[in-house]
Amino acid sequence: MATRSLREEPAAGAAPDAEPPVTTLPEAEPERLSAAYQSWYRFSRNPTAVIGAAIVVICILAAVLAPLITPYPSHVGAVVDFRARHLPPSWEHWMGTDNVGRDILTRVVYGMRISLLLAFVVLGVAVPVGTLLGLAAGYFGGWVEVVIMRLTDIALAIPGLVLLMAVATVFSPNLLTTMLALAALWWTWHARLIYAITRQLRSQEFVEAAETLGASTFHILFREILPNCVSALAVKTSLDCGFVILTGAALSFLGLGAQPPMPDLGTMVAGGTNYLPDYWWGSVMPGCAVLVIALGFNLLGDGLRDLFDVQEIR
Amino acid sequence: MVPGQGPGPVMGCSQLGSDKMKTWNKVASAGAGLLLGTALAGPALAQTVITLDTPEVPGSLDPSKISDAGDYALAVNLYDALMTVLPGGALAPELAESWEVNEDATEATFFIREDATFTDGSPVEASDVVYSYDRLMRLNQGPSNLFAGVVESVEAVDAKTVRFTLSKTFAPFLATVPSIFIINEEVATANDAGDDAQEWLATNPAGAGAYLLKDGPSGSGIVIERDEDYYGGWNESPIDEVRWIVAPDDSTVRSLAASGELTMVSAFRAPETYDALMEMGRFTQEDTSTATAYLLKLNTQLAPTDDVHIRRAIAYATDYDTIREVIYPGEELTGPLPPAFADFIPEGLPAPEFDMEKAAEEVAQSSYAGAPIPITLGYVAGTQFEEEISLLLQSNLEQLGFEVTQQADPWARVVEIAGAVETTPNVNQVFFGPTYPSPDSMFFSQYHSDSAGSWTSMEWLEDPEIDALIDEARSSGDPEVQAAAYGELQERIVDMQADVFLLTLTFQLVMDECLTGYEFVPMQSVPSDFTRYEWLCD
Amino acid sequence: MEYLVFLVRRLLWSLLVLFGLSVVIFVIARGMPGDPARMALGPTASADQVAQLRETMGLDLPLVTQYVRYLGGLAQGDLGRSLLTGRSVSADISDTFAATFELVLATILIAFVVGLPLGVMAAQWKDRWPDNSIRLFALLSAVTPTFLLALLLQILAGYVLHVLPTTGRLPIGAGFSADITGLVTVDALLKGNWAILGEGLRHLILPAFALAAASVGQVALTTRASMIDVTSQDYVEAARAFGVPERVRVLKYMLRPALVAPMTILGLSFASLIGNAFVVELIFAWPGMASYGVRTILQKDLNAVMGVVMVSGAFFVMVNLAIDVATGLIDPRVRLGGRS
Repeated sequence: MATRSLREEPAAGAAPDAEPPVTTLPEAEPERLSAAYQSWYRFSRNPTAVIGAAIVVICILAAVLAPLITPYPSHVGAVVDFRARHLPPSWEHWMGTDNVGRDILTRVVYGMRISLLLAFVVLGVAVPVGTLLGLAAGYFGGWVEVVIMRLTDIALAIPGLVLLMAVATVFSPNLLTTMLALAALWWTWHARLIYAITRQLRSQEFVEAAETLGASTFHILFREILPNCVSALAVKTSLDCGFVILTGAALSFLGLGAQPPMPDLGTMVAGGTNYLPDYWWGSVMPGCAVLVIALGFNLLGDGLRDLFDVQEIR
Repeated sequence: MVPGQGPGPVMGCSQLGSDKMKTWNKVASAGAGLLLGTALAGPALAQTVITLDTPEVPGSLDPSKISDAGDYALAVNLYDALMTVLPGGALAPELAESWEVNEDATEATFFIREDATFTDGSPVEASDVVYSYDRLMRLNQGPSNLFAGVVESVEAVDAKTVRFTLSKTFAPFLATVPSIFIINEEVATANDAGDDAQEWLATNPAGAGAYLLKDGPSGSGIVIERDEDYYGGWNESPIDEVRWIVAPDDSTVRSLAASGELTMVSAFRAPETYDALMEMGRFTQEDTSTATAYLLKLNTQLAPTDDVHIRRAIAYATDYDTIREVIYPGEELTGPLPPAFADFIPEGLPAPEFDMEKAAEEVAQSSYAGAPIPITLGYVAGTQFEEEISLLLQSNLEQLGFEVTQQADPWARVVEIAGAVETTPNVNQVFFGPTYPSPDSMFFSQYHSDSAGSWTSMEWLEDPEIDALIDEARSSGDPEVQAAAYGELQERIVDMQADVFLLTLTFQLVMDECLTGYEFVPMQSVPSDFTRYEWLCD
Repeated sequence: MEYLVFLVRRLLWSLLVLFGLSVVIFVIARGMPGDPARMALGPTASADQVAQLRETMGLDLPLVTQYVRYLGGLAQGDLGRSLLTGRSVSADISDTFAATFELVLATILIAFVVGLPLGVMAAQWKDRWPDNSIRLFALLSAVTPTFLLALLLQILAGYVLHVLPTTGRLPIGAGFSADITGLVTVDALLKGNWAILGEGLRHLILPAFALAAASVGQVALTTRASMIDVTSQDYVEAARAFGVPERVRVLKYMLRPALVAPMTILGLSFASLIGNAFVVELIFAWPGMASYGVRTILQKDLNAVMGVVMVSGAFFVMVNLAIDVATGLIDPRVRLGGRS
């Protein structure tokens, strides 16, 4: 994975900018302030996190409200106007028009929809699967651990993009195949994370106490251990949203994206390369959109990491 | 089909040509792969060096595996065949100085030139021809499908005479002979590691061609140089060296041209790219008509295109002028045969027209009228112009009540889905040009039941009457019988609207002003035989 | 001795990963829909021709038998024959691998040569403007799509400024064969061919920087973090107390242990680096494994696809093994804990 850490000391526990928060809070009734408010306060004091969150929220809102806010919603489909092809950015078309005369801004906003959908579906599959397997491997140990963790090691040894191309090409290349192929590889990262945390927690007192009291395995895994993984999981998932979007864009750049006329950012970049450099906006604009979304999720993830004070665990 | 394969023999397997051409597109997401020549005088060397761009270097130089225009463009320079094809489509002597055909056209005897030599200086003999043919059939790739079931045996009568015996009369046989490149048996067997020398011939030529391999092949290009001792002789200002530079997309082509490295540009780049190059001032552009048809093949066995009214509605909903003028250069196409076969085209075939009202009338007459009609438009992923045509068609069809699904597949996948009626999309964008200089190539590969399941016949006609007409023309030596059969075939196919006849491909050739010799061979030619070029500047 | 045990353990582990990889790849390759024999022969081949090729390829045998045959070949370095080129896959890959290797090597070199000083600088000026701008750069480099960066570099340097070549390893027709190590720049150096060395470097710059950007940021960040970490260690404090000169202190006592983290990170992210190398190679027509890989994937050239993925995987495993060995030498603690 390309990495991301903007955090301070990797090993040291308390980051210096996470200075004792309570002392900076209003003096009155500090203990009555809800934990949520404290978290929010700390979060709002972290400029990168706030910027990241703002980018993510704006992107999601734009994607959801696309039909209302885009200037030419019909351009998402098969609209052709060859007289308007390759118009440069202007007041009517903020990002210019593409090779069949469609508004690029409109298509970029709709393209973000697909990118976000891709990230949510892939992580929607990968996170639960990875979490379950990681919990099982970390808690049960023995052959369960061996099988699951060796599997993740092998999966990490495969150059993902190469394998994804192989998989996505042999099935017909479309959004669904890409999603499934990505999910099939991505769970391993989460499995390793949860595995590492679970192994640490397994021998801790509160877990052992629960075991002694005869709590069910289900209770221990999901009531005792899992809650302690949530913050690490949130950080990782947020960072991964960005990287799933980047990987998905690379795949569709290589020709394994959504079918036209559906706007897919990576596909738009690839199509636009035919007209570089004169009509640069055709590929640079969608490319920058990918960059912005990925940046947003990364800043957010870093902010969350500072907030939860999650240690980097491998 | 790839529009054109060198002024030399027109390869039997060039259907596969577009095959790889499409693959290139996919990989390069750029226009596809014809190799054209460019001239660039090598500084200080006083040599004439041609530099061309190519989306990709062929996987193998083995002439028995030629599957596309890129492979062919190299092979035609490195190897010679018994015969070659001239501008105009006539067959001409190459290694063979003459030939005889017996009365019922079941035996063809070739007499090899006395002075014909391989590039290593050894003489070309009948045994080399036998070896090359047998090897071609053993490997069972490339153009071998042209001869399977047609040629019974090939034997050496004496050192310089070779005889082909056919199992039945096959009118277009001679036209397929230029597909057999002759390999130097001695060299090949010396390097045979039990694999018919496949490994060795993949990167080493062993032919009688006019050029020698100089550098490569590698992922970044390949270079060939002139063999001064070529038995066929040279013109006065020959091309000494030809370099192919891999340029995966159009931006790379422009950047190469701008830095002066490139002086001749391949076809199938975006129109904007040609405009940009012409502005540089040192190129000339020549547009030539080809014998390659650009078609929308309609699956006649799959709903809704199993209804002739739906097929006609699609034809009326196609905006031919916009396609030809804005998206892809071409001339009018009235039926299965491009204008290059004018002698065989019957009078009065109606020209296709764009008329949305008539399209609506046809839809109303169809059995699918009254409800949204789902339809799938297939094209090759990564080709901008095919996507543009598909989008244009979609926007028109949606006005008529169709529910359109676009299906862009990499070319390798198109070949596969063409294998069954159910997986073949309703509408398929295909280039097809004759693979040997005979109208038979256009009809047999596209409309005969024996070709069913291939990407060339995604119409799925499987019509016994059409088959009978094609067979009649094949087995007759009488040109009048052939002409009558071809005429009727065209009228029937146009009437049943098996295809939408988009255009006849116009070949855009952008090259340095100093280079001449390009003459269109009206059989899908890429100007790739560099013995026919001349450099006019000092 | 303990180092030897560590090495043997890592080696065995690498072999196990490779074995697992071969199973995964085999299952995926054989699970592909579609008929590789039909793809290889093209659409006009008859059913007989297809059946014949299926037999030659062993496609009609039981899956387990096919796998054992494949593994047997693999053990002897035989990856089978490519349908696309008709040559053995190992020959095809060894022709193209050197180019990929050179690109990756240059990338790693850039990552350290540029990334380490940046990391050290950031640590020295922690929370001041050099630190902040380096961190911003690192973040941007991690999230900039490789294809976008590659295209922008190509357009800018090649088309707008005309300063650097945009395709290939050398000018075509240069007539230089890298027959010693396979690496153009190294061989040119060994042969003392300065013109070729210059050309080789000029061609290498754009693709290597496009590929290296993300790694530079990564190395800078991890170096910075571990430098800060090390600064507070007792022995560094002690060195300062004893008056060891600043330069020696930074280089010997701080940088050396701090090297472990960026090297480890680079090893872990190496798989994604190979993936991105595919994109970069395609854009710059770099004659490496990528164009071969993409072509064979599209043609369903089974043996070749399996070969390319297998070699990429082996490359990953080797690099990580090398990193383990190196970090084991630099920092003895690694040998004991391992890093799994």
